[in-house]
Amino acid sequence: MSIIEIKDVKKNFHNLEVLKGVSFNVEKGEVVSIIGPSGGGKSTLLRCLNCLETYDSGSIKVIGEDLKEIKDMNSFRQKVGMVFQQFNLFANMNVLNNCIFAQTKALKRNKDEAKKIALENLQKVGMEKFINAYPNTLSGGQKQRVAIARAISMNPEILLFDEPTSALDPEMVEEVLNVIRSLVNKGLTMIIVSHEIDFVRDISDKIIFMDDGIVAESGSPKEIFTNPKNERTKVFLRKVIRN
Amino acid sequence: MINCFKMFSMDSRLLEIFLNSFTRILIPGLLVTIPLTIVAFFLAMIIAVVVAIIRFANIKILKDICRFYVWIIRGTPLLVQLFFAYYGLPKLGITWTSPFICAVLVFAFNEGAYASETIRGSLNSVSEGQIEAGYCVGMSYLQIMWRIVLPQALRAAFPSLMNGLIGMVKDTSLASNITVTEMFFVTRTIVTTTYEPLLLYLEVALIYLLFSSILSKVQTVIEKKLNAQVGK
Repeated sequence: MSIIEIKDVKKNFHNLEVLKGVSFNVEKGEVVSIIGPSGGGKSTLLRCLNCLETYDSGSIKVIGEDLKEIKDMNSFRQKVGMVFQQFNLFANMNVLNNCIFAQTKALKRNKDEAKKIALENLQKVGMEKFINAYPNTLSGGQKQRVAIARAISMNPEILLFDEPTSALDPEMVEEVLNVIRSLVNKGLTMIIVSHEIDFVRDISDKIIFMDDGIVAESGSPKEIFTNPKNERTKVFLRKVIRN
Repeated sequence: MINCFKMFSMDSRLLEIFLNSFTRILIPGLLVTIPLTIVAFFLAMIIAVVVAIIRFANIKILKDICRFYVWIIRGTPLLVQLFFAYYGLPKLGITWTSPFICAVLVFAFNEGAYASETIRGSLNSVSEGQIEAGYCVGMSYLQIMWRIVLPQALRAAFPSLMNGLIGMVKDTSLASNITVTEMFFVTRTIVTTTYEPLLLYLEVALIYLLFSSILSKVQTVIEKKLNAQVGK
């Protein structure tokens, strides 16, 4: 059984049809990247996967649960972490508490255990020297690394990345991508919406190309990047790779 | 101007009235005005937070009751509210054991309405992403509101809320109209016996100014601490 099963999902924002019947599966431990032009429904689909958005028809099953029938939303969301374009660190908490807070409140871990886990993960992302800093004193790249540490401190089964480097200055993109790279091969299922074409080609098991609310093409990075079949994929790749 | 100076410095009778009345006014200030303000403001903050969250979270029916409450309070004068509560409500069987308690409640509900709007505005200014991030680590709406959104909103609202507190210190003088023996009530009593309105009203004004100045100072200190807390 796939860890994520998406079947013919449709969604409208008022009169605008954003998702026009999207279907694909993700296997446990896979790294799947969703690429495609802006406005193609990538982020909307991603936000449907942890119920930040609802969908109108079709079905999504995540970790065996039908999203329309989830009883305990909080414990479901603990298993599906998310890293945002705008970082969204809790502004009223320092770096360490950002990583501890939900562990103690939502997972009911005791404070010492939560702190230990938080410190381990902050070390992984290279932010252990900043545990007392507040988010507004950090650079974008540092914030995003803390946000990743916060997400993995919850030990999620799935981690969603919603354009994690799009709000960063160019010189900070690489530090964040390196952290994401380091998470691969840990049994963690990752879905990444990104415009960093070289990065997704490197790390993904599967690429989903979305355009205009549908999956126009999907396959291994090799298939998509060296031998795209869909005309829209070709046009898109010509544009982004030239840049 | 010179006459004015002469009047205060040369006239020993005036000086005596000033000195005698100073403690007589200051003591009800410390024992009535300040406690009235503190208790009423504390209650007002509780009302304001509850009302603001109900309206922010868009809870059916309750939200309409809250909007009605804010509409009534903001639309009528504070003095009328005081008279209505103290002289009017007993006709409906609601009696007050003391005018002080009546004044506390009126000031609390009055300030609560205004402060709820301040806090609601600040809640709206906290980015939606903070709430979404809270959801994504599996926290409940109430946990997110209480531990993430509200602390940020209150920090943003703090200067405006202090405005309300300082305003309330001065507005408590209206309670003299329902026989609360606070500073202004006592001052008026002294004026009726000494016939020195210029001196005494100036004196009580200075004491109000003193109280407000202390609060302004407190505000500055707390603001610095709050900013240090978010690394500003």
